[in-house]
Amino acid sequence: MVESSLLSSRRRAVVGETRHLLFSVAPGAVWIFVFLVLPSVYLMAVAFMTNGPYGLPQMPLSLDAFEQLAGFGFLGWSPGNLYTLLRSLWQTLVSTALVVVVAYPIAYYITTCREKWRPIMLLAVVVPSWTNQVIRTFGWMNLLAPGTPLSDLADSLGLIGPHMGLYPSNFAVTLGLVYNFLPFMVLPLYAAFEKLDVAQVQAAQDLYASPVRAFWHAVFPQTLPGLLAGTVLVAIPAFGMYVIPELLGGGKSMMLGNLVANQFAGGSNWPLGAAGAILMLLATFGGLYAMRRIGKRLGGGEEVVI
Amino acid sequence: MSDPTAAATAATQQAETSGADTREARPREASSIELKGLHKRFGKDTVALDGVDLTIEAGEFFTLLGPSGCGKTTLLRILAGLEAPNDGRLLIGGKDVTDTPPHRRSVNTVFQSYALFPHLSVRDNLAFGLRMRGEPAAERHRKVDEVAEFIQLGSLVERRVEQLSGGQKQRIALARALICEPDVLLLDEPLSALDAGLRSQLQVELQRLQKRLGMTFVFVTHDQDEAMVMSDRIAVLDGGIIQQVGTPNEVYEHPANAFVARFMGHDNLFAISASEDDWVDTELGRLRLDPAEQRDDQAGWLLIRPETLELDGEVPEGYNRLEGTVEERLYRGSRIEYRLSVNGRTLMAVASNLGQRMHDVGDRVTISVCPEDLVRVAA
Amino acid sequence: MRKKTLARSLTGFWWLTLAFLYLPLAVVVLFSFNSANSAAHFAHFSLRWYHQLLGNEQIISAFWNSLVLAIVSSVIALVIGCLIGYGMYRHRHRKLGWLIVLIYLPIVLPDIVFGISEMAFFVQINRATGLLEPGLVTMIIAHVTFQIPFVALIVYSRFVGLDPTLFEAAKDLYASPFQRALHFLLPTLKPALISAFFLSFTLSIDDFVISFFTAGPESATLPIYIWGAIKKGVTPEINAIAALMIGAVALAAVISLLFNRQGRR
Repeated sequence: MVESSLLSSRRRAVVGETRHLLFSVAPGAVWIFVFLVLPSVYLMAVAFMTNGPYGLPQMPLSLDAFEQLAGFGFLGWSPGNLYTLLRSLWQTLVSTALVVVVAYPIAYYITTCREKWRPIMLLAVVVPSWTNQVIRTFGWMNLLAPGTPLSDLADSLGLIGPHMGLYPSNFAVTLGLVYNFLPFMVLPLYAAFEKLDVAQVQAAQDLYASPVRAFWHAVFPQTLPGLLAGTVLVAIPAFGMYVIPELLGGGKSMMLGNLVANQFAGGSNWPLGAAGAILMLLATFGGLYAMRRIGKRLGGGEEVVI
Repeated sequence: MSDPTAAATAATQQAETSGADTREARPREASSIELKGLHKRFGKDTVALDGVDLTIEAGEFFTLLGPSGCGKTTLLRILAGLEAPNDGRLLIGGKDVTDTPPHRRSVNTVFQSYALFPHLSVRDNLAFGLRMRGEPAAERHRKVDEVAEFIQLGSLVERRVEQLSGGQKQRIALARALICEPDVLLLDEPLSALDAGLRSQLQVELQRLQKRLGMTFVFVTHDQDEAMVMSDRIAVLDGGIIQQVGTPNEVYEHPANAFVARFMGHDNLFAISASEDDWVDTELGRLRLDPAEQRDDQAGWLLIRPETLELDGEVPEGYNRLEGTVEERLYRGSRIEYRLSVNGRTLMAVASNLGQRMHDVGDRVTISVCPEDLVRVAA
Repeated sequence: MRKKTLARSLTGFWWLTLAFLYLPLAVVVLFSFNSANSAAHFAHFSLRWYHQLLGNEQIISAFWNSLVLAIVSSVIALVIGCLIGYGMYRHRHRKLGWLIVLIYLPIVLPDIVFGISEMAFFVQINRATGLLEPGLVTMIIAHVTFQIPFVALIVYSRFVGLDPTLFEAAKDLYASPFQRALHFLLPTLKPALISAFFLSFTLSIDDFVISFFTAGPESATLPIYIWGAIKKGVTPEINAIAALMIGAVALAAVISLLFNRQGRR
């Protein structure tokens, strides 16, 4: 009698816990599942359908979209899409490298400043990214338009043709990307510099005469986790960027994001857009996976935060 | 319901100690605790409690003592209702509370980490339990002032928790539990985070407080000195089983088994190879002991308390005589500890420092042991 | 000597970078006061574009859309995300890998993929059932989806930072489950909830791509309106709205700075 009531009260506790888990987690989990997982699965399915009238997908299933993505169209093969893909990769690579070049000394400089200034300095770096992407990019359009001081300067140096303006161009896109992603690199690098083990650096200064070697052996490895985290935060969204190339680049500066978006916004070829999206997803998850692998190998057990 | 003699004792003790603080001393009905066949498993194979039967008298200062992982904290958490036993019953004040959730038990806990709410002031922390029980604000305010005065931290009530020192937090945590006037107060190693000086001061204070309030205290610790200083009775636990329950001097002087003896700090334990009437054969040789101490089984251990050994002068008639060499001497001020080698075995001896000549390392000494001081301990 | 040069060039580089970061914003603000309709030459100071702005009904409605979208989505995300964060903490000893994957998905998914998936999904649901017509509702759904993870993670990390015995102390001090939620969980979470709300709000205001793909004809937000105006040909009016939005961000920055100061005190 006592036994059975005890058992039932224990069972009630277990059931209660499970019900608690369901009540607390279910609304969000169901929300994300219905409004993100299902749409993503549907989008992937679309990539394997045929393009119908008005750009809406149709049966039968086919690989048409992927062939189009590779450049095969009604008029035979054209390299346009391939160029777009390569340009996306190139822009990602160049802008990430430039972001590192700028962010590294900035993050270091902030750690050398007095402690009470550091939060304010970090805030100063981050605040511009609080404004809307479109507005930030619009600011650069104003700065780089023909007839502005910067364009005139480039003109007089012979870098661009007369009355051309610095935008639209590939250069403007790179600049916009660097501007957009700089804070995402500064923050993790700053965190890494702040944790820097000064004793190691001093030991290295004792061991290696040259500051360059001391830096390379003692400082750089310690900042590597931050560098990797920053690369994840910069390179992956840069690859899928839509707004910046759309506004600052012309037709010749298109990136994968534009190719995909255009199929939905105006061009109306959903399967082609979906195929492009699959490519982007592969790049995203591949990139994340690669960074985690590298992070685990180099970070000395330290997890790279994504 | 509760044991009348214990209640009477508590009342007397209260009368004795409350002279100075008549205002704070609240006559109260303390509650006894009965544990019947408690079992607790974590997961499939971790057994935390393996059949615990125990009665804690009303108004008693009771200590659960044991090494970490012995089950003492689990037992305390079951008393608090924070953990449910897999089997067995728990009665507080004669009432079965096994299935009562913690917020409906008149039991309060002083946590090891103090667990003061960081979002509340000291005053609101103290009043938390009263507020949850729905006492009116004016009443809460009065009681908080009274309790703060009582623990001599009246000036701190408007502070924020993070402004307190460790010792102050400890007292606030204690006051937060006491203010609810529970039937039973549980203390989970509340002194372990404090430094030695503050700790021994609070040990004395806690013990006095308990006597004054006459409340049932269940105290958990791994420190046998602390347990002996404070408790009316001690339960020594190991492997989820109660090894011995008794007053401090019972547990110290007559440990039930070798584990309890070692845990209470005894080093001089010697395996018994044979025994009869008034003698035992040990690794040290044949020793005479009180026949009343003799046990039926041949095996077991002989316990020699270091402070009962005499190193100076003649061996009185009827005493055991041992010959040994001083291997090490530790000067501790009030006493001197010797590590002796007897028959190739180590024997510890402690002498009060009365200004007598100290033995040097390497000295041969004659050791005399009174047969009445030898204790047989079960395996 | 060499050290000094390094320090000096670093300081120089810092100010140069700050100039780089703020120049585009400064130009927008500056030209919003330009009396001439030009992005290259500043004639003289005027509030002309701001006056024009107030008369533009499309801009006013876009402003309200942005505000409603941000507030409603943040409130919904706060409730749902808070529940998930608490569930994750309470049941952290269970195997919740699937939940972690689900929660990180909206964060790692590229904006554009996020946006077009939602759009394709909503369009098909709408074609099939007539429900979820593109508009404010679909935008709110999409925004809540990317806000939930941030709220959940903030709430979760707040719980992880707490002494777990506090939960037991609340039980021990006679608080019923409801009282624990009211007198312990909510007050303890208050700072986390406030910052989660502001983060959600900022994310919503900041977003363009996902809004763009889930919006309907009547539900343009300010960024969508600006986008359209830029595409049609830049007008200085845009400088004025943009300047106002930059002003709002500057205000938020000052507030966060003050909060930060207070937090440390």
